[in-house]
Amino acid sequence: MTGPFMTAKLSSLERSERRLGIALLMPAFALLGGVVLYPIAALIRMSFSENKLTEPWMAKPWIGFENYWKALGDHRLWEASWHTALYIIVTVPGAVALGLGLALLANQPFKVKWPVRLGLLLPWALPLVFAGLIFRWFFEYQQGLVNNLLIWIGLSPVNWLTQEGPAFFAICVAIIWKTSSFAALVLLAGLQTIPKSLYEAAEVDGASKWNQFREITLPMLKPAIIVALIFRTITAIQTFDIPKAMTDGGPGNATETLAMYIHKTTIDSLDFGYGSTLAVLMFIVSAILTSIYLRHTRRDPSAGRH
Amino acid sequence: MKKRTFLSISLGLALTACASSIAMAQTTLRIFTGGQQRPDVMRKIADDYEKRTPGVKIEVEVGGATSEQQQQYLNTVLASKDSALDVILIDVIRPAQWAAAQWAEPLDGFLGADKDKIMARYLPAYREANIVGGKVIALPYFADAQFLYYRKDLLEKHGVQPPKTWAELQAGAEKIMKAEGNANLSGFQTAGAPIEGTVCTYLVPMWGAGGSLTNAQGGLNLGSPEARRPFQLWADMKAANVTPPNLAEIPTDRIRQNFQAGNLVFAMNWGYVWQRTQNDADSQIKDKVGVVPLPGFTADKAATCIGGWQLAVSAFSKNKKAAFDFAMYLSSPEVAKAQAIAASHLPVFPEVYSDPDVLKANPWFAQALPVVQTARSRPVSPAYPRVSEVIRTNMNAFLAGSKSADAALADMTRDLGQVIR
Repeated sequence: MTGPFMTAKLSSLERSERRLGIALLMPAFALLGGVVLYPIAALIRMSFSENKLTEPWMAKPWIGFENYWKALGDHRLWEASWHTALYIIVTVPGAVALGLGLALLANQPFKVKWPVRLGLLLPWALPLVFAGLIFRWFFEYQQGLVNNLLIWIGLSPVNWLTQEGPAFFAICVAIIWKTSSFAALVLLAGLQTIPKSLYEAAEVDGASKWNQFREITLPMLKPAIIVALIFRTITAIQTFDIPKAMTDGGPGNATETLAMYIHKTTIDSLDFGYGSTLAVLMFIVSAILTSIYLRHTRRDPSAGRH
Repeated sequence: MKKRTFLSISLGLALTACASSIAMAQTTLRIFTGGQQRPDVMRKIADDYEKRTPGVKIEVEVGGATSEQQQQYLNTVLASKDSALDVILIDVIRPAQWAAAQWAEPLDGFLGADKDKIMARYLPAYREANIVGGKVIALPYFADAQFLYYRKDLLEKHGVQPPKTWAELQAGAEKIMKAEGNANLSGFQTAGAPIEGTVCTYLVPMWGAGGSLTNAQGGLNLGSPEARRPFQLWADMKAANVTPPNLAEIPTDRIRQNFQAGNLVFAMNWGYVWQRTQNDADSQIKDKVGVVPLPGFTADKAATCIGGWQLAVSAFSKNKKAAFDFAMYLSSPEVAKAQAIAASHLPVFPEVYSDPDVLKANPWFAQALPVVQTARSRPVSPAYPRVSEVIRTNMNAFLAGSKSADAALADMTRDLGQVIR
């Protein structure tokens, strides 16, 4: 082994430590290779083949970019992408805004802190599909809590889950409720790093609470907000469980996301080739969005202010 | 002290070894069934089988409530060639797909020289559904068809006859709903959620109008005027408030629940509903239920979807012979009779319909046999899951009001055109 790091200056002790270090890293590399790199490579390979489990006699011929040309003209893919984009646009800022409120609340000097913190953690710990099922019951036409409330205040019930607009709204409410707690946890950690002395100084200068929030809290919290936005966006691209449980993409395909379309193509229709192509496309979009965010965060967020 | 510990450990090991050698002599079979196909009744039948077949233990695994939920799970199990399941209950629409995917072990070898004789005992529709390309893919477990359930008491009270046409049904439902004045009472329900049952919500009225999904050459036939009739029918019922505004979120078993709670005059549903309405503790309508064949656009021309569940032996099972023997037992006239009484599951053997015990539990079985005999099949295709998805998604969108009849029909034509050519 030769390289820029392997110089003759290294003592034998250093060299053996280096070897040990590499040996200790190997299991992690092997694991990553096995669960990340290999599946991605297999997925990309499969996306260039025809692979329908419903027609095993067709074997799995290599068909080049045929699946990709098909995807370009696939109206359902564009619809699903559009729905996914809408979910991102609405639920990412929604969850971070609600999460900010929750974090500010949890950061108040309550005597007993655990009830608020537990309330923060519970939605986060709940499996996504449970959240979906709970909200489906809330929004159900006949037995749903929301319609009961509407009737109680004298309005007529709404078909929440079987009309495009209301179904989208109901799903967004469920996603924002479910994911805001994660944003709140990240933001709460950020809030607690802001030195108290800043507020004390502002207090002395006579700054109002609102100005303290705008001039101290928000700028100091910016790194945490960006982290919350990144993580929320990455999960929002993959939105699946909640719309699956609430509407299964209905009415028609009006609330279907990209991940749901991939699932339907692969698992329901057993078209692994085309399903893989769709998954590769989603992976590319996801990778681009993530790298844009990462580039943005690599700059020191405090650099601009000095 | 140490010695004693050693002794007890070795004793424990010996006992474990002993127990596992007993387990070795025993065959454990795992059967998969859906939540709606009465797993409790299956369990009782399996208990009987265990008693008469020493050395065989049966585990019943219960899957989702709807056909496509079950298939989603089975797709993952079987695509990975998992040997966990031995016998699998599959919907009547699946054998072609299962044969194509090579998930079901062809049973011809096990049936041997008696194959034709054994298969001849079943109702012809089930014999044909389970033989794909000359091979027996599965054995029929129970038959099914959609019927019209009605509230006998309400119809009598308001002088309405059990309807023979959709127009009579609508008029009767409107009359009863108006006279009862109960806001919770709905006139008619059929499956509208994006599930397998909603495929029949489209096909039944189309067949009833004399249409068919494919023409004589096997090509798609959605340009015909009959292909529009279902949209018109359900739109009329919706406009008249006979169907509830949330029809598009109602799956099969919810109809049964609404009916059983006394909130529904007419229900289009499968055979299992009868036994539940008569025997469930929470049923509000015991002895108040009538069953007739589904209506048509004209009284002489009605149609219904054929249903029913089949027993496939998994191609990946490690105990195929034992699994086949169990499937043969489940597919016997004796078990058909037990199921008919315990679950109102329609028999796959014509003679069981006239069995006095069966008729005592299900008086309506007398007129059910001709319905099952004339019930029609959903399109047979290895790509059926896709066919089903296109029909049910568009029907669901139409019933929800988010797609017009023209748009739903156009989208169905475009998407089915890729599967059926």
